[in-house]
Amino acid sequence: MTRTLLAPFTALGRGVRVFTLAIGRWGGLVIDAARALRWVEIWAPLTLRQMTRIGVDSVPIALFIAAFTGIVLALQASYTFTGAIPLYFVGVLVGKTMMLELGPVLTGLALSGRVGANISAEIGTMRVTEQIDALETMAYPPVAYLVVPRVIAGTIMFPLVTALAIAMGIVAGWFTAIQLLELSTPEFIRGLTLFFVPFDVAYAMIKATSFGFVVTTIGCHFGFGTRGGAEGVGRSTTGAVVASSMVILVLDAFWAVLLL
Amino acid sequence: MSIEIDGIHKAFESNQVLRGFSVEARDGETLVILGQSGSGKSVTIKHVVGLLEPDQGEVRVDGERVAGRTLEELFALRRNVGYVFQFAALFDSMSVADNVAMGLRRMREVSDEEREERVREALRVVDLVGFEDRSPSELSGGQRKRAGIARAVATRPSYLLYDEPTTGLDPVTRAVVDRLINRMKDELGVTGIVITHDMESAFRVADRMAMLYEGICRLEGTPDDFRNSEDPVIRAFIEGRPELMENSS
Repeated sequence: MTRTLLAPFTALGRGVRVFTLAIGRWGGLVIDAARALRWVEIWAPLTLRQMTRIGVDSVPIALFIAAFTGIVLALQASYTFTGAIPLYFVGVLVGKTMMLELGPVLTGLALSGRVGANISAEIGTMRVTEQIDALETMAYPPVAYLVVPRVIAGTIMFPLVTALAIAMGIVAGWFTAIQLLELSTPEFIRGLTLFFVPFDVAYAMIKATSFGFVVTTIGCHFGFGTRGGAEGVGRSTTGAVVASSMVILVLDAFWAVLLL
Repeated sequence: MSIEIDGIHKAFESNQVLRGFSVEARDGETLVILGQSGSGKSVTIKHVVGLLEPDQGEVRVDGERVAGRTLEELFALRRNVGYVFQFAALFDSMSVADNVAMGLRRMREVSDEEREERVREALRVVDLVGFEDRSPSELSGGQRKRAGIARAVATRPSYLLYDEPTTGLDPVTRAVVDRLINRMKDELGVTGIVITHDMESAFRVADRMAMLYEGICRLEGTPDDFRNSEDPVIRAFIEGRPELMENSS
């Protein structure tokens, strides 16, 4: 009876313990990665390739998402503003929303699926097939070889991909406005620049940089923690995507509270 | 020149795997460590290269303790101890030649030309000439094992650790791998530790053998000592008759 009553609290306590341990291990990995920066000769040659895989190869999906987001934003703005607000405010809404929120967050979420899952699955497979042990036996520090290049690449490339996505979203919004909303280009640009401040760009880049860091470090963390065979790799991959998506949303709120 | 495993204990959470296991691999010999699946054989040799640290006891290579070394000191040790993994652990994203060259890239004293020469030499020793540009996924099980051995010997180590080198191979390929292990000893003078539960293979390569059972060394001796042993656990293992083991307990 007592056990039944205590069950929810036991489960909660266990959950808190698991969560705290995971945060601790993630923090440990980040510290190890910082320490591994001294092995420049190991991570430097691998970083460019990771920048291509994490950044350049992610551009198509980021642009695809941004384009349709821009189209929908323009149409929804015009639907909302009908009559009451001048139509050139479509430019305001498309620009501000893409820069401050949807550009960084949607790109971050898309890349957490693509990049975070890829990193976790790759490192997890290396873990269960002893390739990470093999690296160690050949005098390669695994964190310098596997984590540092990915984290540097993600932290640099996420903002660049996000910048392209924001640009694509705005262009898509503009194209929709001039084709479907009877808005001229000067009117759209008037709206776009009306409340624009350079900080908007900085804010987007800060968010995207932090997203790149957490997606790659969380992907590596789950990959390194993989146990078992294919099932373990699957579990790690799912865990990495879920955790990094949640952290992106938490960080999104954190930056809004801190910087806006 | 030896590897001394001296009374090591190792537990993973509540699972006590090693309970004071001791054995020594002497200069120029091949020591085979026998044991059932899950008996702690792989755990044992991971201690030799510092992938694991014992809870008690110690492992010494050339008289120096493995545990407690700095990472740089461990790297120096690992360059002298080649490790052949159970499923080869080749890097999927690299060609066979790049896999073999991996360890050499960490050796600053090896020039690019010498590295290429050593890769060729290592692949020649394991009869994989012509496979340089293949990816690991294009190799058969036996070829993967041989590529793993080539990678381990490319740095010209004094010691080679073989983790279940014949597991999952057909009888002919097993014999080829066993011949290769003997060749490493005879041609390169390498001291080897082979862990296996494949008795046929064990008798082909062993100079001495040790049986790891319930975390300790049940018997250490020559292959003949094992053949002539009347210990029911040893007999059960050699003859593949679990009932002998059950009757003894």
